[in-house]
Parts: sequence; C-alpha cells; structure tokens
Amino acid sequence: MGEKTPFDEMYNPDGSVREPYRALAEWLAEQPDKGLALMQTDAEAIFRKLGITFAVYGSDEGTEKVIPFDVIPRIIAATEWRRLSKGIEQRVKALNAFLYDIYHRQEILKAGRIPEKLILNNEAFCPQMMGLEPAKGVYAHIIGVDIVRVGPDEFYVLEDNLRTPSGVSYMLEDREAMMLLAPDLFHRSKVAPVETYPENLRRTLESVAPESVRGTPNIAVLTPGIYNSAYFEHSFLADQMGAQLCEGPDLFVDGGKVYMRTTCGPEQVDVIYRRIDDDYLDPLTFRPDSMLGVPGLFDAYRAGNVTLVNAPGTGIADDKAVYTYVPDIIEFYLGEKALLSNVPTYNCTDEDQRAWVLENIADLVVKEVHGSGGYGMMVGPTSTKAMHAEFRKKIEARPDNYIVQPTLNLSTCPTHISGDVAPRHVDLRPYVLIGDEVRITPGGLTRVALKKGSLVVNSSQGGGTKDTWVLED
Amino acid sequence: MRIEIDHSLTCSLPPGAAALVMHLMLTPQSGPSQTVESWSVEAAGIGNAGRFRDGYGNAVHLVNQTRPEGDITIGARGMVVTQDTNGVLGKIAGEPVPSLYKRVTGLTRAPVTLYGKYRSAKDSRLDVLHGLMARVGETLGLREETEPMTQMQATGEQTQSQSTEPGPELPPTADYVHLFIGAARALDIPARYVCGYLAAGEGVAGGLHAWAEAYDDKLGWIGFDAQNQICPTERYVRLAVGLDAESALPLRTVPVGEIVQRAAVKAV
Repeated sequence: MGEKTPFDEMYNPDGSVREPYRALAEWLAEQPDKGLALMQTDAEAIFRKLGITFAVYGSDEGTEKVIPFDVIPRIIAATEWRRLSKGIEQRVKALNAFLYDIYHRQEILKAGRIPEKLILNNEAFCPQMMGLEPAKGVYAHIIGVDIVRVGPDEFYVLEDNLRTPSGVSYMLEDREAMMLLAPDLFHRSKVAPVETYPENLRRTLESVAPESVRGTPNIAVLTPGIYNSAYFEHSFLADQMGAQLCEGPDLFVDGGKVYMRTTCGPEQVDVIYRRIDDDYLDPLTFRPDSMLGVPGLFDAYRAGNVTLVNAPGTGIADDKAVYTYVPDIIEFYLGEKALLSNVPTYNCTDEDQRAWVLENIADLVVKEVHGSGGYGMMVGPTSTKAMHAEFRKKIEARPDNYIVQPTLNLSTCPTHISGDVAPRHVDLRPYVLIGDEVRITPGGLTRVALKKGSLVVNSSQGGGTKDTWVLED
Repeated sequence: MRIEIDHSLTCSLPPGAAALVMHLMLTPQSGPSQTVESWSVEAAGIGNAGRFRDGYGNAVHLVNQTRPEGDITIGARGMVVTQDTNGVLGKIAGEPVPSLYKRVTGLTRAPVTLYGKYRSAKDSRLDVLHGLMARVGETLGLREETEPMTQMQATGEQTQSQSTEPGPELPPTADYVHLFIGAARALDIPARYVCGYLAAGEGVAGGLHAWAEAYDDKLGWIGFDAQNQICPTERYVRLAVGLDAESALPLRTVPVGEIVQRAAVKAV
C-alpha cells in the first residue's frame, strides 16, 4: 500500500495488455488522431442534452455543472465480478441483519462484539425505530458500496453507503452515452447490461410494500427539491421507473395513511423512495423546523401503512466508527469470514494509536466520522504541512470525530487526458437492491480522479466518471 | 386503589394553519402496577386516527385535522385500578431492551459530583439508586411539606395542572427526573422518563406528574420519584415512557402550538 507503482488495470508490469482489456486496447490503437478528443466533445454535447448536472456546494461558478465523463470505459472480468458481487451480497445481508438486531434484541451488544456506547449514543442510531418490523425484514434496500482495488486480487471496501447513496443515474447515463459514442466497441465484447436498474428498483420497491396493499403498490420518490445536488437523479429515477416525483408539500397524512395530492384528488402512497435525510423526514418526530418533510410520515410508517426506503436509522450501519466492526458483524450474523476486506483503520481514541497517527499523518488519510462527499477529509501525501498541522490539532481536540486510514494506492485505468491516454486513479461504487431478493447491477459507477496523481475521486472535488463494463463469459 | 382521571389539553395554534397533525400519547396501558378499567380519548378526528406502538412501547394515536379553527381541545379520561408494588414494575414482555435507556440525550446529563462516589461503590444497584434519588433531592432542593408538586413540563413551559403553586425557588418536576436519569445512565444503569398521574390524597393535590424508572437485572424496572423522595405507590398511574421528557410528551403537534393541560386525578 506504500509508494510502489499503483496497480494498472489495463497493463501488466511488463507492458502486455491484461486479458479483459484486450478488445479495448485494439480499439484504442485503431482510433485516428484526435479521435478520442472528438469523442470527448461529442460526449459533452450528449450530457448537456440529457441535462445531467450536479450542484457543487460552495462553488461560485453557478450551481449546475456537467460531471466530467471519460470516454474510455473501465473493464472488469467476469471472474473478478463474481468474486466482488459475492462479497457485496454477503456484506449487505450482514448489515441488514445487524440493523434488525440493533433495533430489536441487540444481541451483538450483549455479546460484547461491538461496544454498547458506540451504538446507543451514536447520533445515527434512531431510538424511534425500536421494535419496528420492516417489510421482508429489510432496512437498507438501496446500498452503494464503495470499493477500491490495489492489486490483481486485492479489493477493499472503503465505505458502505446505507442512507441515500447517489450516483446511479450517472451509471445509467454513462452507459447510454458510451453506446452512442462507440457502438462498434460493444460489438467486440459481451458487456453485462445495466439498463435493468430502474426496473429492478421498481421490483424491489414493490416487494417491500405494506402487506395490506392489494394490487400494484403506488410508489413515490420524495425529493428535498430542485436545490438538492442530486435533484436530477431523483427526477430521472422517478421517470425511469414510472413513479411520481414528490416534494414534502405534495404528500400529506390522513387517518394514519399517506396520500399524494393529484389533479384527480388524493391518491394513497404505499412505498416512498425518500431522498430526504432522516432528520428532515417528518417534523412531528424528527427536526421540528424541517420544511422538507411530511408531518406524521414516520407515524404512518410505524402504523404499517407505508414503507420508507431506506428505513430511518440505517445510518448506524455505515457510521465510520461502526465500519471497523463490519468483519465482526459478518461473522456474528452469518458465521462466515468476510469475503471483502476492510481498509485497516486506526482508532484515535486509543492513545497509542493516536500518537502513531499524529506522527505519521503525512502518509495517512483522515476522515470525519460523519462527513461525506470528500468534505472534511485530508489525504496526507497530497496535503500541505499547514494542513497536516491543522488536522493534527483537530484530532487532538476531538479524537472520536475522526478515523484514520493508510493512503491506499488506488488502481489506475487508462483515461483520456487532452488527446492522450494516461493512467488515473479510480474507485467503484456498485449499486445493490435488497427486497424480496438481492439484486446487484453488474459494474456500478467508476469515479476517476482526473488530476494526475490525485486520489480523491469525488465529483465535488474534481473527479469524473467512466462507463463500467462487466464482461460476460 | 381505584383512580379516576380526567385529563384535558388545550392547544393554541398559530393562526392560518391549513392542517394539524397530532401525536397523542394519552392512553395508559395495563401492567403489573395498574389495570386500565375504562379509558377514552376525545379529539376531533380521533375516530379516523392511525394507531400504533412507538419505539418505547407507548400506545399512540396519529390524528389529523384539516383547517383547524380556534383552540384545539383534547380529553383523556377513565378509571385505572392500581396496586402497590413498592415501586417495582418488573420485567415487561414486549418492551424494548432496557439498554436502549442508556442513551444519553441533551436533557439527561448529570454532573459527576452527583454520581461520582457510586462509580466504584460496592453497594447493590438498588442501594445506588436510592442513594442517587437522595442526592438529586439534596441537589435540587425539596419542599418542606410532604405535599408533592403537581406541575410538569409538557411544552417547555410551566403548565398549570391544579391549584397548588410550586415553591418559587424550586425547579420543575422534569429537572428532578432528568438529573436522576442522567446520573443513572452515567453509571451504566438503564433509566427512563415516566409521564403519568398522581392521585390526590391527604395533603396531596393530585394531577399530572413525572418520575423516573431505573433497571435492575434481577428486579426489572423500579420507579423513583426524586422530587417526592419515594418509590411510586398505588397513587401513581403510568401514562407514557421515553428517553426524556421530550420523547414522553403526551401531545406533540405540527404546527407547534402552545399547550396547556390539567388533570383531575382522584381516588374513588
């Protein structure tokens, strides 16, 4: 994990092309001069037309940006994917079992496998969820597991996103754009489809409707509104699966049930794919000052008259402090060893570990326990001495607020950089749907750090995306 | 003891509210210390209410009204038969795991000076809890007569429940409960907030009241009323429980209104 050359997903150390990339290498060699640059221009036009934008918080250049798209796909072999998807399935099953336990008998705490205080006093733990029986026993129905690769057979899970993971619309649009840009490339390889995601999302949501629902469940996507950075995705997904896109004021509670205001009168809603955070979901139960939510929504959920996807309180399972216990969680509930490794994580509340961390901070990655989106983190090797000092102070002041990990030498993929092809670091976020069954879309969203040497792939920090191919046998 | 309860609440809403949504925890449940003989909750829209158990095991009504006008009135009344259990409630099936009530909330913090001496004490848990109850009383002060206070904080403001005024220099009931809970939790003992009724008696003006319950692995839940320095007797009727006063509120509304409540509670 140190300073050695990163793992190149396309080339072996001897310069030969790795098997999954063979067709792509041939295709790249055939491209005329400026071929990739032209394709890049076309890609931008496609994305502008599709209207795929995201908002960058704290940016001056207008609120909407087109996310950079790289025209060279990232390729995963069938065997590699089988291994990954098995590991992901194991993980999401264990995390849902953990959530069930934490909100019922708390056996894992009684057994002393996780410190009780870490859960019970955690902000992400939602006491109002105690004893609730979610449909099919599922709490987190939509999960985006962030994975990085550091070697041919070395994959690490960076974090499990169980709240409201975003980015799946980029996965879908990247594929659509790639098929328009390079249809011939798809003829040379057998690529597993991702277009089934919206249909699978609908199936998953329908499968967790309250038992009392007769006929086809009525599904709504609840968005905080147009100022949210992922609003495009909310409307895109609602549109793709044929569900209504709603904001809080479009929904209301009557007689313990949830209704949508429509031009034809109120219509009962059975399943809500909510993209509003727990705190803002319902001012009657959570933050009283929230204007985004629906008063009484949580009570209607507790009364069993509507399903919330994901359930409130799932954040306790992707809390960065709980992350270090995921291998124990898998063993405790499934009796299996974790198939995918965690990144080794240092606990700053431990004095010895903290001392070591403070001394070696220049080589480490520091993350805020409750941070996300690349905000509030520091990558040691690419940060200034002043930043190192600042984070040393922060850790000393609130050691429980940070986790620290070694800087992972993320794998690289060939990336188009102003006419040339150069290796850039990537990560992977596969999307998992859990309802009557576990459905994992082959591939996921590949994020690429476009700056040379950069390890931060977040779109809010100058990262781009790539179409991600899982080859079929 | 047969106790007759007549609890009325009035909620004044900000003008122009298009809709009102209410979360009512106004239904006491039968248990080891009490049997609910008859009970009814009256409010506009109650017939259509969503009913469920919340995360703490309370019976809740979710009531909504469109275009609420004027003050909203709610009544909860009925008859509860109680028995003296020396404050011991025991272990009750269907309740959440006791460890839930180790969670520290913003309202339930206690200074280490209050509980510190029990950290390494070899006393039994029951002795520790009685000790804490005494320390809370010493810290916050006690009324000179045996007459208990009948005020409680339901909306963050003092809410008149009966004719008795509290001593002007004494803190509200909720403070005693929160301090006791905070100290117990700091000692890793599950403790919860109980909102309920206290029956009028000799020198006692009944009404709304609040006290704490702490958990003992052998005995189960045990009540402690630090304000009155006793464990609940047959004069106590449990209404709702929670992590603190906020989560055990008998009435929450959106939009937030000003709530005034009173309860006539008498042994018959």
